[in-house]
Amino acid sequence: MDRGKIQFSRYILTLLAFILLTLVAGYFHLTNGAFDMSVMDVIKTLLRIDPNPKFDLVIFQFRLPRIIIASLVGIGLGMAGTVIQGITRNGLADPGILGINAGAGDAIVAFMFFFQMSGVTFFKESWFSILAMPLFGFVGGLAAVVVIFIFSWRNGALDMQRLILTGIAISSGFGALSLYLSLKMNASDYEMAAVWSVGSIYSANWTYIIMITPWVLILGFVMYRKSYLLNYFQLEDSSTKSLGISVEKEKLIFLLCSVGIVSVCVSVSGSIGFIGLMAPHIARRLVGINHRYIMLSSAVVGMFLLVISDYFAKTLFQPAELPVGIVVSIIGIPYFLYLLAKSRV
Amino acid sequence: MNKMNTKNWKVILILSTSPLFIVLAMVVSVLYGVKDIGIVTIWQAITHFDANNVDHNIIMTSRLSRVIAALLVGAALAVSGALMQGVTRNYLASPSIMGVNDGSAFVITLAMVFYPGLSNVHMILLSMVGSAIGAGLVFGFGSLVKNGLSPLRLAIIGTVIGTFLSSIASAIAMFFQVSQNVSVWYSSKIHTVNPDMLILSIPFIIVGLLLAVSISKSVMVASLGDETAISLGQRTKWVKIVSILSVVCLTGTAVALVGKIAFVGLIIPHITRFIVGIDYRFIIPCSAVIGAVFLAFCDVLSRYINFPFETPIGVVTAFIGIPFFLYLIRVKGGEQRG
Repeated sequence: MDRGKIQFSRYILTLLAFILLTLVAGYFHLTNGAFDMSVMDVIKTLLRIDPNPKFDLVIFQFRLPRIIIASLVGIGLGMAGTVIQGITRNGLADPGILGINAGAGDAIVAFMFFFQMSGVTFFKESWFSILAMPLFGFVGGLAAVVVIFIFSWRNGALDMQRLILTGIAISSGFGALSLYLSLKMNASDYEMAAVWSVGSIYSANWTYIIMITPWVLILGFVMYRKSYLLNYFQLEDSSTKSLGISVEKEKLIFLLCSVGIVSVCVSVSGSIGFIGLMAPHIARRLVGINHRYIMLSSAVVGMFLLVISDYFAKTLFQPAELPVGIVVSIIGIPYFLYLLAKSRV
Repeated sequence: MNKMNTKNWKVILILSTSPLFIVLAMVVSVLYGVKDIGIVTIWQAITHFDANNVDHNIIMTSRLSRVIAALLVGAALAVSGALMQGVTRNYLASPSIMGVNDGSAFVITLAMVFYPGLSNVHMILLSMVGSAIGAGLVFGFGSLVKNGLSPLRLAIIGTVIGTFLSSIASAIAMFFQVSQNVSVWYSSKIHTVNPDMLILSIPFIIVGLLLAVSISKSVMVASLGDETAISLGQRTKWVKIVSILSVVCLTGTAVALVGKIAFVGLIIPHITRFIVGIDYRFIIPCSAVIGAVFLAFCDVLSRYINFPFETPIGVVTAFIGIPFFLYLIRVKGGEQRG
């Protein structure tokens, strides 16, 4: 009982600490950049005291949307990573490694190709494209999952070796398909697709925020409510079944939710890997093995990681900007290799 | 014994008909393209070259160098893959999965940023250095980690280290604003192959191929497992060093010449093994031939997929290679070794 309390207080502490850290990172993000602003300027602009149109533009059109998108995408990827690692019972799984990112990304490149070529600028930034893009991504992500299942299902269970190998194959396959489609695009769409596909949030705007917020909230809520089930999934499937849990159905719901949330994230920010891998690991280190705690902790860790990475992406090579996906890979891969060296898969 | 004889018969068939297929690939490749050129014109271009004739120029400078590059690169990648699969006894080993391509592209990016205007010889040499770095990182990490040379782990390590190298390369390229040059450099540029570079690369590829053939018998012994190899009196370390040298020579030159091309080094050795059996003395020369002809035909195909525009040949090999890769996983996925 006492131990439970300690666990709980660590959980709350972790949540608060990472929210605070994210705010600090967000503060740096807001004040620094190509156009430097003082603390007072930022506070005044945010509180609408003595508004200055120049500061308004920088903050409300560029920096704030970007921070919000980074936070939402970080939350989504962190939660999706927890789910994927939980249902595959593999600490090295991640939406990116399984090829879900690539599948969703490919569908979105296809979307750009079919709806934005031949000068149909009508669709750009319109409500139709805002609502349809994540759905396209979802179909692509699902296609990746179906392929994964077909090739790694063996004797009624997912075979881990095949799962990861299939993910590698799917990633490079969808990558080739995206390359092929993007080469057929006209120059400006190609540019857009190329920048977008490495994972970047330059082009964050309020319409994107409106587009992804409901998805992240609804799917995130479902995953959080069901997160206690992930604890049972760590047992053998037969024992879980004997507890009266319909394993297949619940796993399917989890999988659909995480594919959904990943697709939405990919549709605004491109394919950002390794957040879904790192966040659950860090969370598990901090709050223990109870998935009820891991789920939200992983969300806040993911949020912090992505906001700080985007800050680095923006400032490290000033005035040039890196796509945030590259920064995340450069940080995430050494961590992944470290985990790999320690694990015994 | 009898089975061995039939395999031998197949080897002799493949090697003896190979000139025929290579010539066929060359003729097809030179004949077909955006501009249709008659076979008589080809003959004239070779026998009586006329510098003022547009067709002759297309044949000599573009089409012929292109098909020769495809043949050389196909042979080089297939042989590297065969060597890697034999020495590591890993059915997924191949230049692209093991980070060799990415290492090479990484060093070339650095060179383009910090020493622009290097000569072609230097580019080939640097590309080899890069291959060695990529392979060294993946092998090094793979052998440090427990069970790290198993197919699964090696594939993960290779993919991840490859991604790492290319992320750093693209970060640097973006910072110095040369990303367009770099991407033109290593996204399969077989249709714009540089004839001077091609001539330079031939000796490197020949050296690599000769090295591979010279150790093919030892590779066969190595493919039986380290214990067996040692008990048969083989110096396993020496075999590994020579095969790495050969892989570095072959893949480094191939990347310098035409950029990254995935899956040729993975699938061709498998197809070859399926036809000629498990003896690496036969696998290595046969996979050179099959790889060369395969890539030349992929190159012809790449002209027609999005006619009249070129499709990168890497896309074509990926579309052919990925179903095959999935098939391999389906068939062999549960085994530790292949």
